[in-house]
Amino acid sequence: MSLLELKNVSKIYGELKALDNVNIHVDQGEWVAIMGPSGSGKSTMMNIIGCMDKPTKGEVLLDGVDISKESSKRLTDIRRDKIGLIFQQFHMVNYLTAVENVMVSQYYHSMPDEQEALEALGRVGLRERARHLPSQLSGGEQQRVCVARALINHPELILADEPTGNLDEANENIVLDLFAQLHKEGTTLIVVTHDPEVAEAAQRTIVLEHGKVAREVINENFGK
Amino acid sequence: MTKRRMFLRMITASLLRRRSRMLIALLSIGIGATILAGLVTIYVDVPRQVGAQFRSYGANMLLLPRDGETLSSEKLSETLQAFPEDTLVGAAPYRYVRLDMTTRQQSFTAAGTDFEQITKTSPYFSIEGAYPSETRQVLVGKEIADTIGVKIGSSMELTYQPVTSSSDRTPEESRVPGASLSGSAEGFGGGMVYASAVLDSEAKIASVTVDVSTQTPEYGGRIAEDEAFLSQLTGRSLPLSLGDGIDALSGATVTSLAVIDALNQATQTTAAAQPKTANFIVTGILTTGGEEEGYLFISLDDMKMMTGEDRLDVAELSVSANVEQLETYAEEIENRHGAVQARLVKRVARSEASVLEKLTALVFLVTLVVLLLTMICVSTTMMAVVSERRREIGLRKALGASDNSIRAEFLGEGLFLGALGGVLGAVLGFVFAQVVSINVFGSSIIFQPLLLPVTVIVSMVIAAVSCLLPIKHAVAIDPAIVLKGE
Repeated sequence: MSLLELKNVSKIYGELKALDNVNIHVDQGEWVAIMGPSGSGKSTMMNIIGCMDKPTKGEVLLDGVDISKESSKRLTDIRRDKIGLIFQQFHMVNYLTAVENVMVSQYYHSMPDEQEALEALGRVGLRERARHLPSQLSGGEQQRVCVARALINHPELILADEPTGNLDEANENIVLDLFAQLHKEGTTLIVVTHDPEVAEAAQRTIVLEHGKVAREVINENFGK
Repeated sequence: MTKRRMFLRMITASLLRRRSRMLIALLSIGIGATILAGLVTIYVDVPRQVGAQFRSYGANMLLLPRDGETLSSEKLSETLQAFPEDTLVGAAPYRYVRLDMTTRQQSFTAAGTDFEQITKTSPYFSIEGAYPSETRQVLVGKEIADTIGVKIGSSMELTYQPVTSSSDRTPEESRVPGASLSGSAEGFGGGMVYASAVLDSEAKIASVTVDVSTQTPEYGGRIAEDEAFLSQLTGRSLPLSLGDGIDALSGATVTSLAVIDALNQATQTTAAAQPKTANFIVTGILTTGGEEEGYLFISLDDMKMMTGEDRLDVAELSVSANVEQLETYAEEIENRHGAVQARLVKRVARSEASVLEKLTALVFLVTLVVLLLTMICVSTTMMAVVSERRREIGLRKALGASDNSIRAEFLGEGLFLGALGGVLGAVLGFVFAQVVSINVFGSSIIFQPLLLPVTVIVSMVIAAVSCLLPIKHAVAIDPAIVLKGE
């Protein structure tokens, strides 16, 4: 069953076709990587899937709902309820502690629950660092807090934008291991990356070029 | 944990953990609130301050006896009860008479007054030496002191010459028990004959004295010593007529008729006919730049002693009140005490009102400008804060914050800052007002307990209004900025 489906999606900025008649689908529980060089339309696609932008043409079905025509207020609700976001530059609220940063996500979603937030930090191995401010955490630790924040509300889809772009190899592996765990638990993952190693960790890779899907690669070594 | 607690936790964390930036916002609100609180305090206290200032420019109300009535010290103190407690700054009574300085053959206007009250109603009086503190002491106006050359410690012999001019009473009205009467009539050869009589308790003649110095000594001139002629007049009621048991002095019929005529036309003279002389010691020289420099000032007790009367010509009142209140008091006094007339010294009362009006308008205007400047300052700071936190705002939106959540968070921070700045401003503002008051008005200010809540609420409102534009910008931030681009 597909969780996400893009049908003939185009995004046009004046003369530029950032996305040109793209068709993709992602099944429930699938782990998909989106690859492509700069300017290939990765970010535009990420914005549209992340409910932060609307396509010029086409349909975007998320969990059976067409989000391509929704108001931005409605998109905010959908994003909050169904999507967990992870960013390249981590983006933590710099005056809140690790656990408070996780709780911010709960706060906008439903109810802040410190215990649950601490458990989520425990899952990413940062239970002891819960009371630290972002400035007191390493980049890898910050990204793990962001993973905890993304999964705290049990989203249907985790959307990660270059999640390992600013991390060293050790931390990259930790984050990928976390993704693997989430995948095992049935969470759908879409990871936008230009790093082939990160892409290879996924079940399937969609390669974008010039705003079009150039090819799709099934990772035969997945899980091995 | 409830949403509200998380909300407060985020706001306080934002303020406490981002100290330097928030300190600037707090400072701008705090300084604005300080000036506002200070100005409001001065604004509220200005009427009192200016009133006190104006009280030093002299009396703003006069009490006078109505025509044909007299005002005594007792009546004055009774009248003064019309004023509520603390509104009456001072009430100086005055009795004006002419006193002769016999040694120099000059006479001066002297005022009998209460020196303690003068210090309150006329604080601008400048004294070289001291106010009289005992009886038989005199304060001399500069002009007189210069003219006659008296110094502090000099002695002045002053005489009160009672006014003896005939009263307005007719001869018939004058014939009351105990009255002293005197009159004149034309005698022999056109010379005037003067006669005086004292009446007894039944208004009958008790004694008669005559002045016939203009008459021929051998004839009419004998009447003054003629007991037989004078004694036949006593025990009778006026008017008299010759023949009715009264015989003319032989050889002086014209003069005898003139005496009877003079008595028939005689009218009452004042009782205290005796001049009074006393020695006064000069204790001080008065400089005012006004007509007071031409007066002598003695105590009311001395004035009573000299004139034998307890009478006041006027009382100068210094009342702490505005024109409307003064008019109310004046009306009340006139209604309650028919014999007393209350008049406003319009010049003082009016200029006080107009200065007050201008001053409050000025303070109000400055307050308004400060209010505006504070708003601009806070707004600019909050704008900087918003642009500094663009990514954080974008992140919050990406995490699902609605526009209203963003508004609530920034407004919450603004209100928190406003409250904090307000408390700071109320405290510092009072200090500021105190310093201004002491330097400008020379008196300390009264703390208004209402100032604290009012300042806090006003600063919160200012902060909230100042946040409107920055919040608009915050809401407009696109959540997509958190994606890798920037």
